[in-house]
Amino acid sequence: MRRSDLGEFEEVVLLSVAVLTPMAYSVAIAEELEQQTGKTVTTGAVHAALQRLEKKGYVSSEMGEATQERGGRRKRLFKVTVAGSRMLHTVREVRNSLWDRIAPHSLPQININ
Amino acid sequence: MPVSPKKPLEPPPRWPNKLLRRFCAPHLLEEVMGDLHERYYLRVQKVGKMQARKKYWREVMAYMRLSVVKGQSSHFAKPILTDMIKSYLVFSIRKIARNKAFSVINILGLSLGMTCFLLIFLWINDERSKDNFHSNGKNLYNIYQTSKSNGQVNGGYTTPVRFKNGRRYTLLEDLKEAVPEVEYLNFYATGYELPWGHPETFQVGEKIHKLEGSRAGEDFFSMFSYPVIAGNPLTALKDISSVAISRKMAEMFFESPEEAIGKSIRYENVADFVITAVFENVSVQSSLKFDYLINWEYHMGRSDGWASHAILTTIQIAESADAKNVENNINRFLQARLDKDDPVKIELGLQRFSDQYLISNFINGKPQGGRIEYVKIFGLVAIFVLIVACINFMNLATARSVKQAKEVGVRKVAGSSRGYLIAQFIGESVLTTFLSLVLSTVLLLLLLPGFNTLAGKQITLPINEPLYWLGLAGLMLATGFIAGSYPAFFLSSLRPAQILKGTMRFTNTAIWFRKGLVVFQFGISILLLIATIVVSWQTDFVQNTHLGYDRENLIYVRIEGELNNKYAAFKDQLTKMPGIAMVDRSSEAPHAMGFVVDNPINWEGKEENVSVGFKPVSVGFDFLKIMNLEIVDGRGFSREYATDTAAFMVNEIALKQMGIQDPIGKWVSAWDKKGHIIGILKDYHTHSLHEPIKPLIVDVKEDLYFGIIMIRTEAGKTKEALASLEKVCKDINPDYPLAYQFLDQEYEKLYRNEQAISQLSNAFAGLAVMISCLGLLGLAMFSAEQRIKEIGIRKVLGASVSSIVTLFSKDFLQLVSLSFVIAAPIAWFFVNKWLQGFAYQIDLAWWIFAATGLLTLFIALLTVSVQAIKAALSNPVNALRTE
Repeated sequence: MRRSDLGEFEEVVLLSVAVLTPMAYSVAIAEELEQQTGKTVTTGAVHAALQRLEKKGYVSSEMGEATQERGGRRKRLFKVTVAGSRMLHTVREVRNSLWDRIAPHSLPQININ
Repeated sequence: MPVSPKKPLEPPPRWPNKLLRRFCAPHLLEEVMGDLHERYYLRVQKVGKMQARKKYWREVMAYMRLSVVKGQSSHFAKPILTDMIKSYLVFSIRKIARNKAFSVINILGLSLGMTCFLLIFLWINDERSKDNFHSNGKNLYNIYQTSKSNGQVNGGYTTPVRFKNGRRYTLLEDLKEAVPEVEYLNFYATGYELPWGHPETFQVGEKIHKLEGSRAGEDFFSMFSYPVIAGNPLTALKDISSVAISRKMAEMFFESPEEAIGKSIRYENVADFVITAVFENVSVQSSLKFDYLINWEYHMGRSDGWASHAILTTIQIAESADAKNVENNINRFLQARLDKDDPVKIELGLQRFSDQYLISNFINGKPQGGRIEYVKIFGLVAIFVLIVACINFMNLATARSVKQAKEVGVRKVAGSSRGYLIAQFIGESVLTTFLSLVLSTVLLLLLLPGFNTLAGKQITLPINEPLYWLGLAGLMLATGFIAGSYPAFFLSSLRPAQILKGTMRFTNTAIWFRKGLVVFQFGISILLLIATIVVSWQTDFVQNTHLGYDRENLIYVRIEGELNNKYAAFKDQLTKMPGIAMVDRSSEAPHAMGFVVDNPINWEGKEENVSVGFKPVSVGFDFLKIMNLEIVDGRGFSREYATDTAAFMVNEIALKQMGIQDPIGKWVSAWDKKGHIIGILKDYHTHSLHEPIKPLIVDVKEDLYFGIIMIRTEAGKTKEALASLEKVCKDINPDYPLAYQFLDQEYEKLYRNEQAISQLSNAFAGLAVMISCLGLLGLAMFSAEQRIKEIGIRKVLGASVSSIVTLFSKDFLQLVSLSFVIAAPIAWFFVNKWLQGFAYQIDLAWWIFAATGLLTLFIALLTVSVQAIKAALSNPVNALRTE
């Protein structure tokens, strides 16, 4: 697998960054993901994913302002880069084209409410 | 998330925070901690404190990952370490190449110091390895004797001997049976060591050789690791007629060592021995030296020759035994056998065998001091000389630091941390040390042969020992570190803004530190110099002092074979031969008389409980004439008085100690011989000047089977005299090869130790002064460079060359003077202590110190003024043109 490939967790984190921009930082992302998936997501896990994404060049970061609940510490804010955006689009196209090619009724029926 | 400011937030648990602080990479800590805290407060609001705290732990643990923990990554681009080292190396080499004069001074000084250090180190190592090669070494102990009589305590390596029913035996004979911890027991007595020693004659067929050897018990080869190359070591010395010989001796008489086994060899023309073993030539590491070993029983049973009373007893104790316990047991065993009424009380002690070489002096009857003192002194000297060399380096580096400081400033501005700077400076000095080490190894190889002759050793560079190279590397690092430490820590602490603005000045502390170093350096040099001068003067003194007799042109041969029976004929014939002035005899060589007795000597009016230790000597009628002795009272021996064969002479000291008035005509007895005192001899030295003159009692005996024949040769005709001696000896004593000694040379040998020490310390003191002057030269050069504008201005304003030189030298001379003031009393203390070891010493005159001080001052002045004059003579235009 190439290093620039996007893991599943990385993909959702990257999407969350896109959703939360300009206030995308690990706590917000973790909260968001917890809400969306209903599972506990640690900031540590998010942090690690963000580090990897940054290394791959899909996000860029800079230090934001300090707040009181952080004990006066600054937070690191993330933005999706062009490469990240391209990656997200590619992934989405792959998925869409695959969805589109699923023949009707070939998936078992489930109730979606 | 807005939080009401009134209610202070309750902080998250501390413990995980601490953990994180410890492990988290510093540049990530802020955001990580921030995230954790923010999330925690969110959770407190959402699910309550309990839940939040629980989850907090999990959150923290989620950060324990390689990408977060310390040292994994950094914001800053990090150059690879090797690049840095390469850059340091290039810088150091450039610096060394740019300042050629300073670099030469540095490297030369350091390499001289290191050569000195290595030489002394090799010497100490060699001294310490003496007798250390025995595989049972740690269980081998010498027995020494402490005897008390008349309130006097004496000690020595000797074992009490008794006579009974015509048999001579030592009191420790059956020690092995009585003290079970003693596994092996050996007696050792040398035939050749002073005072009575001499090489002994061996003969096989036509081949006759004189060799030096000893006697030993049958356990000898089981205890000591002298490799036996032929024959059975366990039984080698069992039989009374057995003898073990060295490879060298075997090859002298036989084709090969194997062939020697079982062969018969004639000893001193009195006995035939069977060769039972051949051992490898005794190595230089052994303090016992012998080419043959004769069976102990034979030695003790011998009645015709003088067997040495000095018996060295060595035991090997059981692995598990405690030496102190064994010592007590041996003493208990001994006391039961001693005569309770004997006024001389004897106790025995144990000393580890391997210690006997270094610790062989006895103080208060216990072994204490000896060569170990020289080992310690030279060890100190080695360290001091190395420090002196390091100081050069430090001084030059700090003096030049104004120049170097700019480099430091730039490096700091460019982002170098203090640690890197320290590493750089230390690395630089290690590089210099490395170059010096290479140079000093070359020097060492060149100097070692000369050093070996000086010190009387056979030291080689231990090139094959990895430990040696490891040691060298250690020395290099240590020296490099010490030498580089001050510049490294001082320069790296400078503030870049100050340096680059050009306002950097030496602080007073730095200047004082540098001055202090110079004082220390010269102090040590002066100390060594004074010590050297005193040691060589004392050595000179003992060799040239008038001993009370004329020791020039005296040859002596040992009385052996027919020389006693045909003494009269020998004397008669020889006296008529060319080159011979006079011939006479003595029972002991007059320059090193070691035999002292008290009980057998009695005299008229001797009080009870008075004990005087006499040196007894029996001589021929012409002894006083041949020795050129002075008589202070009465007359000397003469053939014209028939009673003179029973007459005695004593010296002045003896008279004083005996406590008699009007001695002439009083009776004296020695053993069973009784006679009258006919004259008093002026005191003359009968031993080395280490000991005071002892009471002497002289009588005439021209028929003793032992002793020496002394031959006074005519001045300048030694060659003819030796030819004559050889001819007469061959005539009268054909069975013994001629062996003769020159008395003056033998006398000098008594001071072999002091001579070696004196020559060694000469060399080292010279080196120390040289190194110190190198340092001074460097400082003077630096100072001239720095003050070049000042000198230019002074010259333009009309200063004379001499005033500039004075100005220049004054500072340095003050320092040297100060170091003299400090070093002189310390030197006096040590030198005085050393001189106490001689009964006759030179006066420690004040001018010895003054002369040393002036000498050092003169050398320092010479060093500095060369630079000063150069600076003073330079054209001021050159100095002032720029700027």
